[in-house]
Amino acid sequence: MARYFLGVDIGSLTTKVVLVNKNGDMVARATGRSGYSGRNVANRLSNGLLEEKKLAPKDIAAAVATGYGRVTFPADREVSEITCQAKGIAHLFAGAGTVIDIGGQDSKVIRLLPGGKVIDFAMNDKCAAGTGRFLEVMAAALELEIQELGPLAARAREHCAISSFCTVFAESEVISHVSAGAPKADIVAGVCDSVAARVASMTSRTGLEPEVVFTGGVARNSGVVNALAKQLGCRLSVPEEPEITAALGAALFARDNAD
Amino acid sequence: MAEKRKYLPLASTKHLEKMMTRHYALSRYHRLWGKPLKRPLAWITSGAPVELLRAFNIHPVYPENYGAICGTRRVSAKLCQVAEAAGYSQDLCSYARTHIGSILRPDLAPMGGLPKPPDLLVCCNNICGTVLKWYEALARIFQVPLLVLDTPYLPARLTDHTKEYVLAQFEQMVVDLERLTGRRLNRRELAEQLARSSQAIALWKEIREFCKTSPSPLNAPDLFIHMAPIVTLRGTQQAVDYYRRLKEEVNRRVRQRQGAVDGEKIRLVWDNIAIWYRIFGFFKMFSERGACFVTDTYSGGWVMELPSGDPLESMAITYTEIFLNRSPDFRAEQMINLIKEYNADGFVMHSNRSCKPYSLIQEVIRRRVTRETGVPGLVVEADMADERVYAEEPIRNRVQAFLETVGGI
Ligand code: SF4
Repeated sequence: MARYFLGVDIGSLTTKVVLVNKNGDMVARATGRSGYSGRNVANRLSNGLLEEKKLAPKDIAAAVATGYGRVTFPADREVSEITCQAKGIAHLFAGAGTVIDIGGQDSKVIRLLPGGKVIDFAMNDKCAAGTGRFLEVMAAALELEIQELGPLAARAREHCAISSFCTVFAESEVISHVSAGAPKADIVAGVCDSVAARVASMTSRTGLEPEVVFTGGVARNSGVVNALAKQLGCRLSVPEEPEITAALGAALFARDNAD
Repeated sequence: MAEKRKYLPLASTKHLEKMMTRHYALSRYHRLWGKPLKRPLAWITSGAPVELLRAFNIHPVYPENYGAICGTRRVSAKLCQVAEAAGYSQDLCSYARTHIGSILRPDLAPMGGLPKPPDLLVCCNNICGTVLKWYEALARIFQVPLLVLDTPYLPARLTDHTKEYVLAQFEQMVVDLERLTGRRLNRRELAEQLARSSQAIALWKEIREFCKTSPSPLNAPDLFIHMAPIVTLRGTQQAVDYYRRLKEEVNRRVRQRQGAVDGEKIRLVWDNIAIWYRIFGFFKMFSERGACFVTDTYSGGWVMELPSGDPLESMAITYTEIFLNRSPDFRAEQMINLIKEYNADGFVMHSNRSCKPYSLIQEVIRRRVTRETGVPGLVVEADMADERVYAEEPIRNRVQAFLETVGGI
């Protein structure tokens, strides 16, 4: 008997898959780089989940796809990542009023009601400012691994100012701070402030209602989490696995759909 | 889930095409008949008082309408590049860049560009400040007279002082036109022009109001296509006849409960100029999910009723009170009223990179409208003619999320 529901989120940088049971509990998840074919990656990851749980394809009652690659995946239906993100977060945080999501190539602010209904959203996806991509470029300019940014930012004495939103211009600002002899930690803190500032300005369009949940891969970066909490003047909740919440929402839609 | 939904074309469209082709063909050969018939050629802005020009037997053509045609035919980007190479900023309105590009490179321009040189230029800044500089550039290129009508921005209501200021300019314009054409103003002719304008405007209004019914007989692309005569042929008998025909057809749709969008589920209001180069593709993202744009602020901008009384005064009022010349509060209230009257579930604002006066205050309007109506609004970033600014995937993403928000999934 088919008892499980699959959610697939094919993002611009990473693909995430989540399996839930009929109670909506997450039983397995996996992530991988989307690469050239997010669809193939999604297939490989979901087959891996089946193996891990010793399940057969027929055990999956329904699948929902989301993310940029959503139309390429043969799911029962596709739902936008904004709707899925809200669904996933409402499931994990019953009191959530706002989701701030910073992914690889876009960032968004979603206002939601209990139960996950979206009431408004704002999105930045035309340029890399305020996204994971921006952090990757800056980390590369500083010869750092992306995971090193958070701990390093915590050691900053002074925050360097990175005023340009444009990734290319900001990179040259970073380089001029380097050549001026600024400590790496101070530059990294400035980079985190810059991402936070860009996203914080989006909240003025949607409004900010607690509880505020921060999702997406960038939510693992404690430097950005702290900078954002400071700029917004509120506490941020971060899910244990902040990059898979939209995939979780998709899986929950698959379950609702099958009801 | 998205289903296939058919687009229901209007039979009147083929009459419209014939009429517009005829207008452009006539204009194109203006040099052959203009002089013998003593009908000078004017290039004018969309908010210029065309009735006055027609009363002087002037033949008007609209560079903005030409820009829209170039946008629809997807040649704007190329013409914009020509203008940019000549030194015009990429931030300049794409109608202006398209038009200037078409003057510089007629070989790239549909119909070889507008007929030229114009005998005069008429510019009214009720729509924006851009037109002033654009028309000054044209006056320099062709060395022809430029008549400017300055309509002060209305932060609140039209004051007597402003009205008198604009009226005085109308009186001066009459003197200038008498000198330029060598004719006296024929007041009876002017009154007739205004009467025909009013008739066409009234019909356009009635046609639009049919869309209050559900399902709506028209969708945004219909409104954008069928607005051409109210812009370019306002004041002519042709326009009146055309809108009579269209009204009948739309009325028939209403009687037969025929919707423009198959299985209409969501009713939306559109704000800003059309995205001409994707006029069907863009709206298909909505119609395939059962969403219909039942009205809009753009093509509705030409529902500008002319008060009776002295013709010059009537024009002074109407042309100053154009919605783009009015406060964010006025614009927000207009949107709120449309949502209520048309029973809309949401609204979509095109943040148009070209048109600053239309776009800059949208975020303020959006928040107020949502607060007062409880209806959600989406902003999409694009440009009316320059498709280099258009990013399909991010837009599709937002549209889908928005429709899921409005209509449920
Ligand atoms: S800026 Fe706007 S109002 Fe002015 S000409 Fe361009 S499109 Fe028209």
